[in-house]
Amino acid sequence: MTTLEIDGLTKSYGAVKALQDVSFDVAGGELFGFVGSNGAGKTTTMRIILGVLRPDAGAVRWNGSAVDLAVRKRIGYMPEERGLYPRMKVGEQLIYLARLHGLSRADAVAAMEHWTDVLGVSERRGDEVEKLSLGNQQRVQLASALVHDPAILVLDEPFSGLDPVAVGVMSDVLRGQADKGVPVIFSSHQLELVERLCDRVGIVKSGRLVASGTIDELRATDQVAWTLAAEGGAPESPPGVTLTPDGPGRWRVDAPSAADVQAVLAAAVAAGPVTEFAPVLPSLTDLFRDVVSEPNEEA
Amino acid sequence: MVWLIAKREFRTRTLSKANIISSAIMIVLIVAAALVLKPFLTGDDEAALVEVDAATAELIPYLEGAAEAQEADYAFVEADAVPALDVDGEMPEGVHAIISGEPATPEITLSGNDGTLVGLVQGAAQAVALDAEVSALGGDPDAVSAALSQATPTVTMVGDDGEFDGGTFFAGLVVIVVLFIILIQSASVIMMGVVEEKSSRVVEILLATVRPATLLGGKVLGVGLYALVQAASTVLPIVFAAWYLDLYATLDIEMGTLLSTFAVWFVLGFAVYIVFFGGLAALVSRQEDIGAVTTPMMLLMMVPLYLAIYLVPNNPDGTITQVLTQIPFFAPFMVPMRSAFGTISTAETVLAIVICLVTVPLLTWIAGRVYAGAVLNTGGRMKLGDALRRG
Repeated sequence: MTTLEIDGLTKSYGAVKALQDVSFDVAGGELFGFVGSNGAGKTTTMRIILGVLRPDAGAVRWNGSAVDLAVRKRIGYMPEERGLYPRMKVGEQLIYLARLHGLSRADAVAAMEHWTDVLGVSERRGDEVEKLSLGNQQRVQLASALVHDPAILVLDEPFSGLDPVAVGVMSDVLRGQADKGVPVIFSSHQLELVERLCDRVGIVKSGRLVASGTIDELRATDQVAWTLAAEGGAPESPPGVTLTPDGPGRWRVDAPSAADVQAVLAAAVAAGPVTEFAPVLPSLTDLFRDVVSEPNEEA
Repeated sequence: MVWLIAKREFRTRTLSKANIISSAIMIVLIVAAALVLKPFLTGDDEAALVEVDAATAELIPYLEGAAEAQEADYAFVEADAVPALDVDGEMPEGVHAIISGEPATPEITLSGNDGTLVGLVQGAAQAVALDAEVSALGGDPDAVSAALSQATPTVTMVGDDGEFDGGTFFAGLVVIVVLFIILIQSASVIMMGVVEEKSSRVVEILLATVRPATLLGGKVLGVGLYALVQAASTVLPIVFAAWYLDLYATLDIEMGTLLSTFAVWFVLGFAVYIVFFGGLAALVSRQEDIGAVTTPMMLLMMVPLYLAIYLVPNNPDGTITQVLTQIPFFAPFMVPMRSAFGTISTAETVLAIVICLVTVPLLTWIAGRVYAGAVLNTGGRMKLGDALRRG
């Protein structure tokens, strides 16, 4: 099984600690969503993975050995600040970048044709990049990350500035790459999208990875809240259980144990028909807000 | 990899529309100038026709002798009829001047001013008058003129042997000024190339797959090839024009030596200056900030140029000249100038080349470090020291 291992990355800019001991793994075939406020350290982490920045401590490993230039050539990268030669033609540019990554000319041409087709910019191959709309430039940017058939994908904010159609295309492409066995790391502020798309998520805050795991793992808490909609009015509840009204005929139930939950449900059914009884799962947005609003441990 | 980068750099610079058009205009201008100038330059080869009246024909041998001594190109012809102006009072077609009157008191009719001819005629008339007087006194005119021609001083020059040779100076000057212009142009091209990648942020993608030193090396090589093509597209038409106009005969220059000196110092000058400029360019993030870094560098570059122009002709063997010859930043200007004057020993040339070759890796290392340290920095200008530390 292929794995990209991020192990104990630490990086400071003068007095600013950009990263502190950030560690996580991304397995082949996995979509890893990287979320965090602006300046939390997402871009710094990605730049270190790509070797454009050097960490003060820690290492990045691919299948157990340190990522060197040969491995980096097989990473597809989309930097946060988009960058292409503005006055170079789309086709030429993609072929050039593919060849820099070690493809032969023939392979580079074929890959350029394939990805411009898939991403819907094949008619613009002969145009200079600066003549394209921002959305199309973004598609070319993604093509430049994919054109060398990467073994690893690292994308910084790939969805920012895309229209809904392009978001769909981008999602399909990322899913497709993961299904091919490529580990895919991407950062985003669009949390619903991350929740829907990603197998696992990492939340960074002030340079620390404060949570990581599958969405379900992150949602798992000791005390699950339930939502109850009952026509018979507020049920009798055992001590320790709180019922918070949540609209007409709806309550939020916070119970300390599973037995208490069942007791509340039984009481509600006895009082009248129950139309809804389900656990309240926090969305990624809720989790994110909780994590980010917690005061810093050091502060 | 380096080659791939160099090729892109070369292609985008050379095949840009602006470059192709300006080079084509340059070539056309130079060749056209040669074609247009040719008739004027060769037209002068025909001797100016001076008609001499039969009554004054006695002057002709004196005139021809004096003209030959002065390398003045006149054809003195004794006219069949009495030479005269045409009906409009103009000089007849193809005639430059008419000489008539008595040999001792000749009259000159000229179209336009010609001091040389007037001087020749005056000398001839005086000689005729002198001969007549010598004969009248019973002397031998030939003996007198023989004695006169031997009465010349012998000149011995004391001091340094270097009489100022304008042609040599000119040749050396052309080589180092062309070199200077190419270096300045290439410096600005490579700096724009580096900053273009920085400001468009494409450099981040590139550095994810290419080492900074490789990227810088490829750019320097590509810009170097571009500069070579640029230089060739200017120098070759000039060489053609010079050949076509037969200028080599007039300028006593060894073309082969000149071009090979140029080639060697083109490469070394490039390695010394352009790698360095490329590294420095990474300090800024925006095109409009380039000046802050480069203006001081460009001004500093003029120092070796002017020192070479001033020191070599005035102080060819001075200690300072010899010392500067061995300093890498001065050598590309000092050595070609000194070899144009022939005042540099082979040992000195070889030493200068070796010192440059040793320094280049060091400079490349420094430039690569500055480049690597600064190339991902965005925003304001970066300090040199910070870049070195980060690199």
